[in-house]
Parts: sequence; structure tokens; C-alpha cells
Amino acid sequence: MDCSRLRTLVHRFCAGEENWVDSRTIYVGHREPPPGAEAYIPQRYPDNRIVSSKYTFWNFIPKNLFEQFRRIANFYFLIIFLVQLIIDTPTSPVTSGLPLFFVITVTAIKQGYEDWLRHKADNAMNQCPVHFIQHSKLVRKQSRKLRVGDIVMVKEDETFPCDLIFLSSNRADGTCHVTTASLDGESSHKTHYAVQDTKGFRTEEEIGGLQATIECEQPQPDLYKFVGRINIYSDLSDPVVRPLGSENLLLRGATLKNTEKIFGVAIYTGMETKMALNYQSKSQKRSAVEKSMNVFLIVYLCILVSKALVNTVLKYVWQSEPSRDEPWYNQKTQSERQRNLFLRAFTDFLAFMVLFNYIIPVSMYVTVEMQKFLGSYFITWDEDMFDAETGEGPLVNTSDLNEELGQVEYVFTDKTGTLTENNMEFKECCIEGHVYVPHVICNGQVLPDSSGIDMIDSSPSVSGREREELFFRALCLCHTVQVKDDDDVDGPRKSPDSGKSCVYISSSPDEVALVEGVQRLGFTFLRLKDNYMELLNRESDVERFELLEILSFDSVRRRMSVIVKSATGDIYLFCKGADSSIFPRVIEGKVEQIRARVERNAVEGLRTLCVAYKKLNPEEYEGVGKLLQAAKVALQDREKKLAEAYEQIERDLVLLGATAVEDRLQEKAADTIEALQKAGIKVWVLTGDKMETAAATCYACRLFRRSTQLLELTTKRLEEQSLHDVLFELSKTVLRHSGSLTRDPFSGLSTDGQDYGLIIDGAALSLVLKPREEGSSGNYRELFLEICRNCSAVLCCRMAPLQKAQIVKLIKFSKEHPITLAIGDGANDVSMILEAHVGIGVIGKEGRQAARNSDYAIPKFKHLKKMLLVHGHFYYIRIAELVQYFFYKNVCFIFPQFLYQFFCGFSQQTLYDTAYLTLYNITFTSLPILLYSLMEQHVSADALKRDPVLYRDIAKNALLRWRVFIYWTFLGVFDALVFFFGAYFMFENTTVTSNGQIMTTSTHMIFGNWTFGTLVFTVMVFTVTLKLALDTHYWTWVNHFVIWGSLLFYVVFSLLWGGVIWPFLSYQRMYYVFLHMLCSGPAWLAVLLLVTVGLLPDVLKKVLCRQLWPTATERIQNASVRCWDGIPGFTPLEPLHSLGHRSPGALAARTTRAVYRSQEYCVLAPGLALPHGCCHSSWRHGRRTSRPGTPV
Amino acid sequence: MTWSATARGAHQPDNTAFTQQRLPAWQPLLSASITLPLFFCAGLAFIGLGLGLYYSSNGIVELEHDYTGDAGSSNCSVCAAEGQGRAPPPPCSCAWYFSLHELFPGPVYLYYELSSFYQNNRRYGVSRDDAQLSGLPSALRQPANECAPYQRSATGLPIAPCGAIANSLFNDTFSLWHQHQPAGPYVEVPLDRAAIAWWTDYHVKFRNPPLVNGSLALAFRGTAPPPNWPRPVYELSADPNNTGFVNQDFVVWMRTAALPTFRKLYARIRQGDYSAGLPRGAYRVNISYNYPVRAFGGHKLLIFSNISWMGGKNPFLGIAYLVVGALCILVGFAMLVVYIRYQDQTDDDDDDE
Repeated sequence: MDCSRLRTLVHRFCAGEENWVDSRTIYVGHREPPPGAEAYIPQRYPDNRIVSSKYTFWNFIPKNLFEQFRRIANFYFLIIFLVQLIIDTPTSPVTSGLPLFFVITVTAIKQGYEDWLRHKADNAMNQCPVHFIQHSKLVRKQSRKLRVGDIVMVKEDETFPCDLIFLSSNRADGTCHVTTASLDGESSHKTHYAVQDTKGFRTEEEIGGLQATIECEQPQPDLYKFVGRINIYSDLSDPVVRPLGSENLLLRGATLKNTEKIFGVAIYTGMETKMALNYQSKSQKRSAVEKSMNVFLIVYLCILVSKALVNTVLKYVWQSEPSRDEPWYNQKTQSERQRNLFLRAFTDFLAFMVLFNYIIPVSMYVTVEMQKFLGSYFITWDEDMFDAETGEGPLVNTSDLNEELGQVEYVFTDKTGTLTENNMEFKECCIEGHVYVPHVICNGQVLPDSSGIDMIDSSPSVSGREREELFFRALCLCHTVQVKDDDDVDGPRKSPDSGKSCVYISSSPDEVALVEGVQRLGFTFLRLKDNYMELLNRESDVERFELLEILSFDSVRRRMSVIVKSATGDIYLFCKGADSSIFPRVIEGKVEQIRARVERNAVEGLRTLCVAYKKLNPEEYEGVGKLLQAAKVALQDREKKLAEAYEQIERDLVLLGATAVEDRLQEKAADTIEALQKAGIKVWVLTGDKMETAAATCYACRLFRRSTQLLELTTKRLEEQSLHDVLFELSKTVLRHSGSLTRDPFSGLSTDGQDYGLIIDGAALSLVLKPREEGSSGNYRELFLEICRNCSAVLCCRMAPLQKAQIVKLIKFSKEHPITLAIGDGANDVSMILEAHVGIGVIGKEGRQAARNSDYAIPKFKHLKKMLLVHGHFYYIRIAELVQYFFYKNVCFIFPQFLYQFFCGFSQQTLYDTAYLTLYNITFTSLPILLYSLMEQHVSADALKRDPVLYRDIAKNALLRWRVFIYWTFLGVFDALVFFFGAYFMFENTTVTSNGQIMTTSTHMIFGNWTFGTLVFTVMVFTVTLKLALDTHYWTWVNHFVIWGSLLFYVVFSLLWGGVIWPFLSYQRMYYVFLHMLCSGPAWLAVLLLVTVGLLPDVLKKVLCRQLWPTATERIQNASVRCWDGIPGFTPLEPLHSLGHRSPGALAARTTRAVYRSQEYCVLAPGLALPHGCCHSSWRHGRRTSRPGTPV
Repeated sequence: MTWSATARGAHQPDNTAFTQQRLPAWQPLLSASITLPLFFCAGLAFIGLGLGLYYSSNGIVELEHDYTGDAGSSNCSVCAAEGQGRAPPPPCSCAWYFSLHELFPGPVYLYYELSSFYQNNRRYGVSRDDAQLSGLPSALRQPANECAPYQRSATGLPIAPCGAIANSLFNDTFSLWHQHQPAGPYVEVPLDRAAIAWWTDYHVKFRNPPLVNGSLALAFRGTAPPPNWPRPVYELSADPNNTGFVNQDFVVWMRTAALPTFRKLYARIRQGDYSAGLPRGAYRVNISYNYPVRAFGGHKLLIFSNISWMGGKNPFLGIAYLVVGALCILVGFAMLVVYIRYQDQTDDDDDDE
């Protein structure tokens, strides 16, 4: 295995320059082209072996160790361990070596196991048999032996072994169907097309005789991009050149469906396939907690170094007197005396470092890692986030960010499919100003009777009728919808009238809705067969159109077109797209009426599309064909050339009409958004949709309220004013209010209900973000951010995918560095999901791309509420306590040791026995905090959900701020002082002694230094554990078990450790020390006293803070306790009653607010039994009045 | 379809209290109303305990005498001056006279105290070989390296017991004399030197090497005594049960002290007429002054003390309990004030929510 790696490396190296060539040339079937063909640069390609494993058997140990020690913490502990090995240090190397060994081994085993699984999977994949053509015969070989240029045969339901150019299939039309479920999760069947000139080759002989070369780009990871061309040589004529695009490319990992077999030629193999290139790991995201943990670590490292320095200096000052340096009872050896002073001092410094190194425990990393790993299971297990409808539960792709969910300040959400269900329903169409509504809709079911057209306006004229039919035909033809064959039962979408089965599949749900809608209006799209589109018209006649070209959809153009030839020979171009991209290209048609209707629909939250057409005469078509062909064949900049070609073709159109499709809000979307806003999170909606549609959705989901004053920063407005003026004007508006009014500092929501919503569109945004020519870039940016900060909600419409990421980046790197969360469901959200601190994918209809790239995936938008408010809050609280507690307990642990140096002549004498030093963090105090950090619920989950305000209590990393950190550290230092000096005064001056009553002779025993250390240690273990017990609010049996269990374990261990002469130890210093200490009355009393004193300040602080400055969380806790106590006058609904009591105005506003269109949107204000009139115009009215200058 | 059906089943989370984080739990809260009585109770209990401790500690009588022999302080100054700068110091004896006007209640313990003596120095503390002390013959011949420079004698013989701790064994000896009547004869008070070490140390941890031909001396043949010792280890005492490594004084010394000032038990007085304590009268302690402490600025003290149920004299614990108890009560009152004063306000706040 290593050999092959080496070989590839050598090849890479030797190939040298060839690898820089932008394109590769492939001989199909390894047949040399006829002489005189293009110059050919021989290139070497890797074989088809997939290597996803990281290690081999031989390099596992060195490579894994190297990787592990690259982590700074591990490296630190390794250094400490080595120092202990090399120099004479107070503690044995075992104390740090054992935990380090443990950690390294566990990690190595885990990684080794994972790699073994990968090896197994690789082998299975590399050895699976593949059919391919050799000398015109079918041969079976192992997949890994496949080479570039081989012709491969793939049968139905097999996956493609490498990236192939599709040569032919057994289907007459040279197509095949493919699912890419394992690549991007889209289970819909996609059609791929064989190369025109080879699609007729059916047999092995024919294929084997093919003589062709393929030129294509070098492999790149984009799954949807491919450019290349094929030169086919026949004996007689010049080579035929054909363009190759992604529609000709079959990707490794995809599965062949509905097609018996296909032939293809391998172009990218092994690690160069697009699938392999896509498996590169994502960049790791680090949570804010982890960052502050690292900062604290550095602080502790500084403390450690300064402690060691102080002690070293003091040691030499103290030793300057010879009787102290070398008293007669403790003389040095000759070699010790002769040591160089500086060397000695340096060794001493290192020894002190080793002595105090436990202040940064190895186990913290392990515990944090375990907490995150195990804790993420509670998210995946959560039943509330399980969607029974789809059978999907939440997925955790990264457990590193659990606590970041509790820190979110900005939520960037996609609209379609995230806020809305992405379940499109055809609502109406408007042809030349006449509105058609398919009325036979009952419970979402379409009745088979297709005659139902409800004419709202007056009946159309004869010419209107012609236009009407053209419009319907346009809708029937201008799309990329496929009809799923009858025998496919596993389709997700099945038409209800199964008698005449027409299951439409498309990557865009809008298109499906349109085709289904037009079916209800009388025109049924039957299928696309042999480049002919068949449709059934109102008279049940089959019409056939030849499909000439498809100008496919892209998000920049925001439209698509088809060019078809009717049976009568007329050539039409049908174009459908967003109104903004259609209207400028229209030269004829009732633009005004349609525009009015489109805007009306958009305001109602419907997704609108405009349809236009153009009739081409044959000459024009020829020109178009050439234009397209030229662009398609281009190897360089094909995208750009295509876009230019499309631009030229799609103009001078005749407007036919518009459609409106409804996308319903997801259930509880409004409730969720409201909760998030209450939690102090700013919600931004980023959408590619039109402004009006998006704004309507925002109203419906309560992102904007009736009282929200909308600010606009749109292209429309920028046409009137310069960007500069608009920005300044907006900021003035916003700041005037923020200056004069009392504002809630957390959310920027003003308390009197005067809040702002900003609407910005993509074009305006790119203007804002564009660096200014004068070089003073960032100026507008700052102004824009300032405006955004003061707005409670921001809507960004007309966003390209990359712009979404730009927005996220902009906020992420603004001066407060807020924590951002992006949530989306589609491929267009991936960039923003990757960009944000936390990326959440909605497992939606548009495939699993978003879910795969996200950190967490949830089935529905509403689950975000529990994810953030409950899980995020819990995990933040848990990890914050975990981190602080770890530092605290290690201060308690090490600080007495530091103090002891002042009493032992700075001789690096340890206070505790080696076993205690080693096991303190590993066993005595590890489990309680781990279990705490998994189980703690300071407030019940229901309360957190009910009261989103609680989320603000932990905003801005509240529990890991410097103030809190310093409090914990000082608590640790205080406790350490108490432990040490408590024990010191017990031992100083007089004799803490044991009566030794349990022994046969009644005697009076004097304790030595090990008893001293053991007393300090015992007090410490008890204090530290009880401190955690004080912090625990949620005592399940597990907590009881681990807290009392670990105390018991400490006692039992100590008895055992001291009860036996351990033959493997060279010293027996702990022999009976613990038991003798227990025999001493004063020791018991001292433990009791010191533990009490150690805990007292914390108890005091807790009680006083709770009483004097209670946080919202503590109030809820108090309330729940009172509720328990049965104090009358409190019910869980009290806050609501009091809310109503306090602000009747707000209540009134609430009842009349945005209750939109249908019953689903009526979100009942909790606890209010008022009847909700679905007054769907009220908010619009309100909006009009509040923003008089803007046309609606 | 069947496949996806099972997969769906597998996806469905288990609905247990554990996985749903709904385990039944006790949710205590540190509120003022709970902690207030706790503080008062704890305060009262602590004060009670503190008073008891304080009085029992106060009831302990201690009599101490610094016999280091700083110039002019006592008659040991002669010995101290004589021993100055000479190693080993010449044998010298001095005495300490004191008189008791009332009974010193028993049982009385005699301690010696050293100060500025760093038994807890790391290099000193590790300079011993527990294997050797447990009587392992191989360790007797091969002392641990930690013992250096007291590992082998100048002639290369292994030192037994090796190490700095053993080498610096405290070798002053005391005897107590009582004069019943003024001008009467001094009668020696019997000092019980047995059972002053930990029982486990004396009986388990420290063992002599197996006897050779019934002789301990032969067992130690081929070893050298520590350089500062005038006699080999098997001649520490005439009593065969108290010699070699299991000598009580030696075992006591080998338990290194925690702090640079420490006491070690020398003897108990509990025999004969003195079982009830030291009766009134004049006393003399004969000190054989051997141990040099002035070289490192240390002091040597002799202490007579009795003990109570809680051990030796320890005013700290009693005072600490009193202070903490008082603090608890004080804090309790402060909290009560806060509680009463701010209770209403909190309620108001709650209403405002």
C-alpha cells in the first residue's frame, strides 16, 4: 500500500510539468488516434484506488503520535514528562507519564479503529468487480485496477466506479437516470445524456472500435461543473468535435437507475474523482468557549511560570546562607557541589515547573472532549426534535460546538424551505391581466376533473384565448421537470390520481407546482421522449414539441428558457423567470397590469414568476444555435460565454403572464422567531426571493411587526439617491431614536415598541461592501453595520449564495465579534452555513447538501428553538462550569504545594503523595464534574423554552468573562490558603496527635509531613467535591452516585493505599498514614472546619447575589421553588398575566398583529383566549401608514 | 421499502427518561430562606464546639525549656560553646532545674522540639531506603541511590541504615529526677520509652534483617554505621526488641516532620508514683548534650505536656471554631437583614416581569 503511494508520488514528481497542464487528453479505450491528430502530452494518472484511510499498518504509530503531539496541550505534557525523565524532579515521571500515556492511548485506539473501518471500506470498494471492455470483449476486473481511458460498462443499480463520460446507454435516446443520493443527498433521478455521436453504440464490439480522444479540464471538486470536448475520429472524415458538459459526466458514487446498462469512458480515477476531492475535511470550527479556555490556559501558564520563577529566585536568596544550603545533616554529594550554578538554577526552575505543572491538567482536555462527544448524544436522542413525518431526527456532525448554540447573537436564516415548507402550491396565474385560479382544491387534493378554471375577471377575447393557450403551453414546456416512470414506487412525490400516474420530479419545487398547476388548468405534460416533449391539451390531444435548446436556470440570471419547435414547424422561445429579470427584456404585452398583479401577489407572500415568449424564424434560430454551440464548445470561460450568449438570446420578448405559487410557512416558524428575538438574538432573513414576497413572509413569521418601521436600502431607492445619502439618512433615523429613548441594551429593541426593520437587496449590498475608490473602504461598511445593529430585524433579499456568506462574514468580523448562526436547507445556503460560527442544516426537500455541510442538522425550523434555548443553554452552562471548575480545583490542588515551598526551604518537596498527585484529576475529582457537565439542568427545559429571555443571561460568554474567571481563581486561592494554613496551624507549635486508641497499646503518636499533606488533600477533595455539589441544581441518582461515590472512593482508596506495604514501591511513606489520621479527633474536626470555611464564601456569594441581584434565571428558579412550596398567588402563567396587566397596548397590538391568510399562521398568544380574527389586511394597512413613501 | 422502514425505526430516539434528560431529580436551591437557619445552626454548633475545644485545650499544661545553650541562658551554654565548630561534638552534660507547685496532671509526655531543622527538605526526605529498613538483606548490601552521600562509607562499605535522615538521628538523652522534699535526695522518675513510635511502623514497616546465627551483629556484618553515629545500629539499645532498625527512637526520628519546627515524643511518664502525674516538688532533667543545632541556627527544647481527649495543646482549633461560628452568626444576621429588606423588592420585581 505504501509502495503505491510512493509510486504516485514519484510519478507526480517525475511528471512535473505535465501536471500543470490545465487540461488532460484521454484516449478512449487506449486506442491511439490516427496520426496527424493534435500533439499529445502523455500524462500519468493515478489508478482507481480510493484511499480514505489516514494510516497504514507501518506508519500508524509514528504518524499518529506526531499528529497527537501537534496539539499544543499534549506537547506541553510531553515536555513535562521528558523533563521529569531527564532531570531529578520532585515527582516521578509516572505522575505525568501515566495520564499522558492514557490519553494518548485512548485517542490512538479510537483513531486506529476508525482508520481500520476506513481501510475495510476502502478495500471493499477497491476490490468490487467492474465490467469493462478490453479488445472489444467484456472483462471483469477489480475496481482498483481501472485506469483512465478504460471503457466501463455499468448495469442498473450499480454505482459508477469512477468519473465517466457517458458514451451510450441501452436506451434509444441515449439518456440514463442517475441518483446522487450518496453524493449530495438528492434522491431525485437526474437525466444524463450520452455523447450524441456515440449513443448509437450498443454492443461491446461497437464500443471497442471507437476511436476518440477526450480533452477535459484537470479534476476539480465542483460536482456540478465540467467542461471538455470529445474528438471522434472516423476513418473517412475529419474528427467530429462535441462539447462535453456536466450532463455527460457520470460521477463516482452516483447510482444508475431505470437504465439497463451504460457504457462510459473513465476520465478521473481514484483520488482524482470528484467524490474523493469532495471528501476533504471541512475547516474546524472552534467555539468561543474553547477560545476563552485557551486564553485562561495561557493565564495559568503564566502563573505557572511565574510561580516557578519566584520559587527559584527565593530558593537561591534563601540558600545564600551556607548553613541553609548545606546543613551538616543534609550534605550534598561531590557531583552536586560541582554543578554549575546556572545549570543548577535552571534545573531547579524546571523542577518547580514540574512540581506545579498539575495546574494545567491533562484530564481537562479529555473531560471536555468526552463531555462534548457524549453530550451530543442528548441532542440526537431528543424526541422533541424528531420529526415523525419524515422520520428524521437531529444530526450532530460536529460535537465541538454544543456550547456555541447557547451563545448565538445573530441568526441568519434562509427563507424558502427553512422558514417556509418549500411545499409549493400553484395559486393563480395571470394572463394578460386576467386572473385564473384553479378552484377545485380540497384539502390540498386535486380532483381529477380538470375543467375547473375560475375566471375572476371578465372573459377574454379570442386573441386573448390564443395567448392563454400559449401561456399554458409555455408553462408545460419551459421547465426541466421529469416524469417518473410508473414502476418507480420509491418516489417521494406521487400524484394523487394514481390512475393516470404523473409523478413529476424536479430539483425545483416551484417547477413541479407549476406543471401540476397547469395540469389542473387543462394542460398535462406527459413526458420528454427522444427530444420531443409531449403534452396533453384541453381536448385530450397529444401535442409534440421538439426540444431544441434548454437555456438552463441559474441564480444570477434568475430565469430559464427553452426553444421548442411545434408540430407546425414554428420555433418558439419560452422564457420564465423572476419579474425583475423578465420585465426589462419585454417589448410587448400588458406589462402594467401584469406588474400590478405580480406586486400584489408578492405582497401576499406568493412566489411569482413571469412568463414570456418570442417566436423565432429559422434564420434567427440558426444564429442562436451557432451562438450557443460556440459557447458550449469553449473550453475556457465557458460559463461566462454561455451567460453572454443567453443574454443575447433572451431579449425582445413578449410578456404572456405571471404565475403565483404559495409556499406555506413552516409550523411554529413565527413562534420560533418570536422566541429567538425575545432571547436577544437578532434574526436576519437572507433570501434570493423578491423583496415583496420576502417582506410578506417576514410579517407572517413576525420578524417584522406592525409597529416595525421599515427602512429600505434597495436598488429602487438608490436610483433616486446616492448610496451615501441613503446611508446617512437611515443612520440618522435610527440613531435619533436610539439616543433619546430607553433601549433594552441586549437586543436593541426599544422598550416602547419603536423598532426598525431593514430591508436590503443584493445589489445595494454589493455597493455597500464594495471598497470605495478613494481607498477609504469600510466607511460605508461601518455605517451599514451601525444601522444594522440598531435594527431588530434585517431582511436581505435577492441574495446570491455567495452574498449570503458575505453578510455572515461581515457581521462575524464586525467589532463586537458576535456569534453567528446560519440555518438553511438548500445548496445555496452551504456557503453561509460554512461561514457562520454555527451552521445548521434543515433536512429539507432540496437534498441533503446543507445538512451534510452543517454542524447540526434538524428536520424543521421550529426545532431551532429547542436547539438554542434549551440545548445550547444547557451545554453552555455545563461547559462553562466545567472549564471554571477545572481551573478552580487545580488552583486548590497546586497552590498549597506552592505555599509549602516556603516551609520546606524551597526544596521542591511535594506536599502530597505521588498517588494523590497522579489520581487527583484522573479519579478523585473527575467523574462528578463530567456527570455534572452532562446532566446539569439549572432550570427545567420547559422553563427555558417558555421563557426565552433566560437566554440573555448567558449571552456574550457571560459565565466565562474575566470577572467570573477571576472570582473562581480567587475562590481557589482562598480555599488553598484555608487548607494549607488550616493544616499548618494544626501542625505548628503543638502536636496534632492521635491517641491511637484502636491499636493495642494506647499511645500518643506524632504525625509527619505525609500526614500533613494527606490532611490538606483530604480537606481539598471534600471541599472541591462539595463545591460542585453546591453548584448542582439537578440531582439525579447519577449525580448522587458519582458525588458521594467519588468521596467514598477516595476514602477507600486511601485506606487501601496506606493499608498495605506495596512491594512495587520503593518507599512506604503512606503506610497507615491515612488511617492514623482518621484516628485523630482533631483531624476530623479540622476537616469539618476547613471544609466549612472553604465553602462559606461561595455559599455567601450565591445567597447574596440571588437575593440582591437575581438574574432572570435565578428568578425562575426561585419561582419554581415557591411554586413547589405551594405559596399561593403564583402560577406558571403569572408572567403572562402580569404582562397583560402592564401593557394593554402591547396586548392589543398582539391580537391584531400579522395573522396571515390562513389558520395555520394564527399563533395564539399563550394564555390568551381572545378570538383571533385573521385580519390579513390589518398589518398591510399598518405598514402603509408607517411607511408612506414606499409603494406597496 | 422495508429497508427504509427499519432505518426509520433505528432513527427513532429511545424514549427513556435518561435520553430525554428527564430523570427524576431533586432540585435544591441555595436561597436565603434555606441557608438562614442553616447559618444560625452551624454558627451555634461551631461556637459550642469551639468553646469545648478551647477549654479542653486550655486545660492542658505545658512546660517547656530551651536548652540550646545560647550564651548565658542556661547551664547548657557551656556544652553549646564546647561543641561549637567541632565534629563530632564532645560528650557533655548539663541539667535543667524546675519546680512544680502543684500536681502536673498525668499522663505526662516528654517531647523534644527542634526548630529550623528542615526534615521536610526534599533531598533530606528522600535520603532513606525503606527496603533496607524493612530488613531486606539485599537492600542492606545495596542501599538506594537516594541515600547518597550517605550511601557508602569512605571504605566503600554500605551504610546501614543509609541516608541523611538516619545519619542525623537525634542523640541527646534525658533523665528526670524528682526531689520530694527540699534538700532531699533526687529520685529518678521512670521514663517509659516504649511505644512512642507508631505501632505500625514499629511492628510492620521497620524490621531487622534476619538474624545470622542468632546474632543481630552478624546480620549487619559488612555494613558501616552512619558516619555521625558513634555505635553501629545493632547497639542502639541493650534490649533486643528495641535495637537495630526497630529502635523506638530511631523509628520516631525516621518519620519526617512536616514543618521546620517540630516536636517528637521522647518518653511517657506513667509508671509507679507518677502515673497520676508529676507531684509537686523540685525536678532536675539531666541532659546529655550531643546534638549540634547552633550550626544551622536551630533551637532545642524540652517539653512536658499532658494531653486531652483531642490530643495535645492546640488552641488554634478552638479559636478557629469560635471565629467561624461567630462569623456564621454574623453573616446570618446580615443575611436576615438583607432578606427582610429586599424580599419585598424582589417580589415587586417578580410582578413586573
